[in-house]
Amino acid sequence: MVGALIALIFRHPPLAFAFVAVMAVVAGATSGGRIRRIPGARRAALVAIALPALGVTGVLLLVGAFEVTPRAAIPTAGILIGGAMAAATLTGRRLVEALDERADEVEARLALGDDVPTALAPLVRVAVTTGVVPVIDQTRSVGLVTLPGTFVGLLLGGASPATAARIQLTVLLALLLVELLAGLLIALAIRRAVTAPGERVVVPPADGRSATDPGRG
Amino acid sequence: MSVGDDAGIVAHGIGLTRAGRRVLDDAAVTVAPGRVTALVAPSGSGKSTLLRCLNRLLEPDEGTILLDGVDVRTVDPRTLRRRVALVAQAPVMLPGAVHDNLVHGLADPDPAVVARALADADLDPSFATRPAGELSGGERARVALARALTRDPRILLLDEPTAALDATTADHVADALRRIADRGIGVLVATHDDRLVARVADRTVGLGG
Ligand SMILES: Nc1ncnc2c1ncn2[C@@H]1O[C@H](COP(=O)(O)OP(=O)(O)OP(=O)(O)O)[C@@H](O)[C@H]1O
Ligand SMILES: [Mg+2]
Repeated sequence: MVGALIALIFRHPPLAFAFVAVMAVVAGATSGGRIRRIPGARRAALVAIALPALGVTGVLLLVGAFEVTPRAAIPTAGILIGGAMAAATLTGRRLVEALDERADEVEARLALGDDVPTALAPLVRVAVTTGVVPVIDQTRSVGLVTLPGTFVGLLLGGASPATAARIQLTVLLALLLVELLAGLLIALAIRRAVTAPGERVVVPPADGRSATDPGRG
Repeated sequence: MSVGDDAGIVAHGIGLTRAGRRVLDDAAVTVAPGRVTALVAPSGSGKSTLLRCLNRLLEPDEGTILLDGVDVRTVDPRTLRRRVALVAQAPVMLPGAVHDNLVHGLADPDPAVVARALADADLDPSFATRPAGELSGGERARVALARALTRDPRILLLDEPTAALDATTADHVADALRRIADRGIGVLVATHDDRLVARVADRTVGLGG
């Protein structure tokens, strides 16, 4: 089914744009759904995923890292969108959890005169780091622990090991960048969503009732 | 220190609904400079909530809060929270040493202010280098008090400052509040501790003012 669709797209390049757009929207909805407590989560996740993934895909094509064909562009965009989705989900969930778990600490910082970005900085840092740990581990262990999919696929497709390795390395570095950017973007979007006027942090409750404050009595 | 008619905090008509519950209804309180005011009301009646309204950690739905005659909503919240410093009931220590906590967020910490804050909170200067994560409950309470004082506040709000302390330590805190008020700072302390009220309060009020 998907195979037939991809075969069709490879023959009709304009369809590639639609296909990639659908991938991005599905990824945004999936990732945003994991933090649906946050108002506008799906839209924020779509932006956090699509902007870096498609931007970096575009740059890779522009600089000639791959040939400009659906056959090269779609898998690249797919890998980057998938990575961005994973990072956005991990980062977003970690940050939303931290907003609950560390509400008292955040309040303490605000009470000492921090603005909201400063008060939330330690939480944002941990969340973004969490989001990129898998891709960093993957990058470090390449060739030792794992033979990454792109490499294997290219080999099976008839590429020389040297070409396959060069493309794989490019993809991994691009992934690293895209995932870091996706994590940062979703974290900033969440920060904006929980920032209330008067340097306050207001996190909607988990059960989806009307918004209240994280402060404790 | 100027002590006009409108000096300190004057709050009235404060109403706040949280999660669909009416937590504060027409609450009022005044905090006069140089005096210790005890806020005594039943558990769950909204004392902690009212304290958080006074430095805008919570935004009341109704009512007016004036600091030295100025509506607190017109003041930069970061400035307001240094002028109206809050010591929470279970204070959270930030990472690092006690000194890091004391100077947190201060652009240009004055060593004299830090030293005085430690002394006011009844802490030996050697505490400055202790890891904040390794303090006892009573030590944390006093570091939190010192940390509030390094903001050089006009008003000090304390939420159950003696709840976790033994009687002797609680008396030290009470005496510290007296010294702080004697320097012209307005102190508002929400408490169930009759001993603290008797020892240090100039005035006892409920949530109606
Ligand atoms: N984050 C919150 N969201 C919704 N309601 C809350 C929240 N925090 C406290 N409340 C409710 O607001 C009411 C007042 O709480 P508050 O902590 O201000 O009372 P208190 O007078 O300080 O009580 P205590 O003496 O036990 O500390 C309580 O009914 C409490 O359940
Ligand atoms: Mg309370």
